[in-house]
Amino acid sequence: MLNLSPQKILIVEDQAVMRETLKHILYGMNAKQIIEAENGNNAIAAMIKTRFDIVLCDYNLGAGKNGQQVLEEARHLKLLPFSALFLLVTSEQNPAMVLSAVGNKPDDYLIKPFNGQQLLNRLERCFIRKSALADVESELDKGNLYQAITNCETLLAQHDKKIRMQLLKIRAELALKISDFKTAKAVYLDVLLERDLPWARLGLAIVAYSEGDYFDAIESLHELTEQFPMLLEAYDWLAKAYEATKNVDGAISAITQAIELSPHTILRQQQLALLADSVNSLDLANKAYKAAIKLGRNSVHKSSSDFSGLAKNLLKTKANSTVLNLVSELLEQFPDDPEARLRAAALETEIYRTLGKNELAQKSYEKTVKLNKQFGSEASRELRLEIAQTCFQRGNTEIFDQIMQELIKTNIDDKKFLESITRICTEMMNENYAESLIHRVKQELVDINNRGVSLFKEGKIKEALAVFEQAISNLPNNQTIVLNISKIMVHDLKTSGGDSEKIQKAQAYINKAIQLGIPHDKIGGLQAELARITHHQHHSR
Amino acid sequence: MSDSTTTAVHFPAILASSVHDMKNSLSNLRALISQLESRYPDNKPPEFKLLEFESNRLNNSLMQLLTLYKIEASQFNVSIDEYSVRDILDEIVAQQSSLLALSKIELVAECNDDLYCFCDSTMISNAISTLVNNAQRYCRSKILLSAKQEEDYVVFYIEDDGAGYPQHFLADTQKYYGIDLATGNTGLGLFFVATIAKMHRNGDKLGFIKTDNDSHLGGARFSLYLP
Repeated sequence: MLNLSPQKILIVEDQAVMRETLKHILYGMNAKQIIEAENGNNAIAAMIKTRFDIVLCDYNLGAGKNGQQVLEEARHLKLLPFSALFLLVTSEQNPAMVLSAVGNKPDDYLIKPFNGQQLLNRLERCFIRKSALADVESELDKGNLYQAITNCETLLAQHDKKIRMQLLKIRAELALKISDFKTAKAVYLDVLLERDLPWARLGLAIVAYSEGDYFDAIESLHELTEQFPMLLEAYDWLAKAYEATKNVDGAISAITQAIELSPHTILRQQQLALLADSVNSLDLANKAYKAAIKLGRNSVHKSSSDFSGLAKNLLKTKANSTVLNLVSELLEQFPDDPEARLRAAALETEIYRTLGKNELAQKSYEKTVKLNKQFGSEASRELRLEIAQTCFQRGNTEIFDQIMQELIKTNIDDKKFLESITRICTEMMNENYAESLIHRVKQELVDINNRGVSLFKEGKIKEALAVFEQAISNLPNNQTIVLNISKIMVHDLKTSGGDSEKIQKAQAYINKAIQLGIPHDKIGGLQAELARITHHQHHSR
Repeated sequence: MSDSTTTAVHFPAILASSVHDMKNSLSNLRALISQLESRYPDNKPPEFKLLEFESNRLNNSLMQLLTLYKIEASQFNVSIDEYSVRDILDEIVAQQSSLLALSKIELVAECNDDLYCFCDSTMISNAISTLVNNAQRYCRSKILLSAKQEEDYVVFYIEDDGAGYPQHFLADTQKYYGIDLATGNTGLGLFFVATIAKMHRNGDKLGFIKTDNDSHLGGARFSLYLP
């Protein structure tokens, strides 16, 4: 039986009576270390101080954060070790569906009312499952996808029925993560052969989307949402697929459906706002921005861009000085955030300009330039693009050039983003501007690669590595460079050996390559070689 | 006239939100009860168990009404996964047995440890709890919960040692759904169980329920078939 005495337990519940009841139950089960929090902020503060083994968190916490938002923040701040249990307590009968937030699920839901024995049973079951999956989850926690896959395969071979379905689900999701669509598809089809499970059908649709078969994806996602109206993730993918086919109205309608079923997801409201903005549906965008700002008060997903989005939306409909209130609200909500300060200054410039207050606009603009110098390089690319435009409008082509060059360099593989850069530049000056910039960066890439590869071929490994390492600091997100440096590092390890630090470095580059979306067929072999080297090293010690 | 139309259109929604509110109220009530209970470390008055039993029953009924409303409004679908049947039965025993012990009724669960079942475990637990609550009213001293694989179905049995179902009920279960206002049996529970059973499907097979008097204990037997 589960021994609760060494477990550090956090109870998050706004009602004192319920806290007492839970404590009473837990003490009755031999728990010794219980901390209580009556709201989300206190819960986060407690988790910063103590690493808990079990968190029992009510969904409904009154005015502040809800339980799901506590979970999101705790995961975001990495306050929950992978071995910890987070149970969301709710009176909702269908919580996994109603409360689901993309990619951030609790370990389990506890449906009220429950008694002590039920709680104990549930905790026991969760710990058993958790420890069965520990080999996979610990590697996932470290970002080692391939090792997680190996461990997942090992566990699957043990045919433990209790965790089999979950393992298959994880296996397929891992395959998706490394862009190994063939395996993902095979796993989903296998599951479906046995049982028509919605997650497996959703998985197949995701595979179709990932392989670019958008219309197939749309068709199966439609079918899925009709049959399982509460499968909210299906609407998210439907919106993505519609967006990929440039059908913004379709995307808007999919997201709207999901929001109607579960209105409290900030990420969906933010997405809806951007979609509505892109087709100039001002009313819809306005509503979505407002909803996002409201939800943002309690969410890690809150974004200063919701404020500037709403402000610009208002400037289009009823431009007056009350829009300036949003600037101060923005600064109030993001007190220590340099990006927010930069955004506020740029927004202020735009508002004054629209209102025809040129002197004030100039002042705000000068502030923007100053802040941009200080923090610009850390800002999000959307904001940087915005600032480049503001500077251009003010006649400062120097900053415009600088930002554009950097943005192109750091996003050279992102076709969609480069397209939007080209569009903006074409609107502002001429077609050739962005294209020649992009061309120049691509040429630079080719030169670097040629230089690095030929050094490598001459056997000058150290020099080749230096070339690529230098390039990565300049062009951090380029697939070719990251792939080449991974190849050279693995080769170097194979031929001249190396310590664990060197191995870790190679692994970090491979992980970066996976993160950049280099598919399994290009990186899988390299990863296998590195695994052999690591294995060999372990055994020769 | 327009007034009465509005009322007709809104009534189900009003009913649902009221039920929701009642559920919240009930959960506060339960919290208060357990606070009172904690004042009696020893020699707890037996009424507490009865309060728990009644509030469980009330909660179950409200939950069923709400779920049925959501099914009508296309805001609900079962969420199917593979579960250990042993775990499901243990959950019900955990919830019910101390309450049943109060009326000196023994609840026994029997099943194979390696029996697994595709279902919505929350809904199925609720359904079976409802059936156990029903059986509790008609049994003498024992309720047997069991499950086994029967061809393409996993079947849950709820059997008791009471007098069994009356003949007219067995002749047409669909029609009666056990409605008997004299005993307080509204038919909600059975309707709920039958609806949830039907929402479990595998290919062209649907879940269903069966009632007979073939209990090993000599009383009524309720069977819940899940494909």
